[in-house]
Amino acid sequence: MNNPPMTLSDYRRRGVLDALVLTLPAIPFALVFGLTVRESGLAAWLGWSTAPIMFSGAAQITLITLIGEGASLAAAATAALVVGARHLFYSFSMAPVMQRQPSWFRWCGPYLLIDQVFALCVDKRHLPAAEFRHYYLAAGATFWSFWMVFTALGLFVGPVIPEGLDISFATPVLFMGLLATAIDGWRKVVVAAVAMAVTLALLDLPSRSGLLLAVVMGIAVGLVLEWRRSS
Amino acid sequence: MAAVIMILLVILLMGLGSYGMRAIFILALADKTFPPLALRALEYVAPAVMAALVMTMLVDPGEGGAPSAAEIAGLVTAAGVALLTRNHIYVLVTAMGVYWGLGQLL
Repeated sequence: MNNPPMTLSDYRRRGVLDALVLTLPAIPFALVFGLTVRESGLAAWLGWSTAPIMFSGAAQITLITLIGEGASLAAAATAALVVGARHLFYSFSMAPVMQRQPSWFRWCGPYLLIDQVFALCVDKRHLPAAEFRHYYLAAGATFWSFWMVFTALGLFVGPVIPEGLDISFATPVLFMGLLATAIDGWRKVVVAAVAMAVTLALLDLPSRSGLLLAVVMGIAVGLVLEWRRSS
Repeated sequence: MAAVIMILLVILLMGLGSYGMRAIFILALADKTFPPLALRALEYVAPAVMAALVMTMLVDPGEGGAPSAAEIAGLVTAAGVALLTRNHIYVLVTAMGVYWGLGQLL
C-alpha cells in the first residue's frame, strides 16, 4: 500500500476521481430536482438559485415542492431545515479535524460539506492537514460543479434516464461501501445496525426527522457499549 | 412580484441556515478542547449517520416496506467488496451486478 509518497496534486486528483464516482449515480437526482422546479410553477432561475445558495439536494427538493404545493413559506422552510439538520452531525464530526486547518478553510469548507463530501472525507481525517484540505476541496468542487450543471440541465431536459435503468440504487451502494470501510470494531457494527433499524421504524415521521433520532440512538448505544466495557 | 421577492428572501435565509448547520460546530469548537465523552461520541457519528442515510435512500415514507431481497444482497456485496478492495469502482460494479441480476431472477 505504501508505494511512492503521494503529492498534494495526487490528493487533488484522487479527490476529483472519488467524487466523480459518487456524482454518476446522483445524475437522476439532479435531473429530478430540475423537474421539481418546473412542476412547482416557480420561475426556473428562482428554483435553480437554491442550488448555489443552499447546495443541499434533499432540502432543496423539499422547499421547492412545498412552495409549489402552496404550503406557507414558513412551513416549507421549517420542513427543509429539518431535512437538512443531519448536517449538524457532519459539522460536529468534522470539528476536531478542522481545528488543524487554517481559519479561511474553517469558514469556506462547511459550504461544501454535503453527504458525499462528508462520507469521503471522514475516511481521510487522519491525513496531514494540507493533504486533507486539498482532497476535501477537490472532491467538494467536483461535486459542486456537477450539481450546478446537472440541476440546470434538469430544468430543460427533464428525466432523460430511461425508467428501466435503475441506477439510483448506486448511491446507497456507494455509501454502504464507505460505511463498511469507516467501521472498525464490533461496536460500530452495532451502532450502524441500530441506526438502520431505527430509521426504518421511524420512517413515517415528518421531514425525515426519524433519521436524526436514529443517529442519536446509534451514538447512544455506542457509548453505552463502551461504558459497560469500562465499568 | 412581491411573492417572488418573498420566496427569494426565504431561499437566502435557507442558504444561511444550510451553511450555518454545516459550519456551527466547526467554527464554535475551533479552539476548544473536546471533553472525553464528546470525543467518544464523535467516533460513532459517522457510522450512525451513514447507516441511517443508506436506509433513508432505500425506503420511501408511506411505502411502509423494508428493502427488497435484491437491495439487501446488493448492500451486503457492497460492504464486502469495499472491505476487501477499498475500491469504489469495484464496489459499484459488483453490487449493481448482484442487484440487477437478482432483480431479473426474482
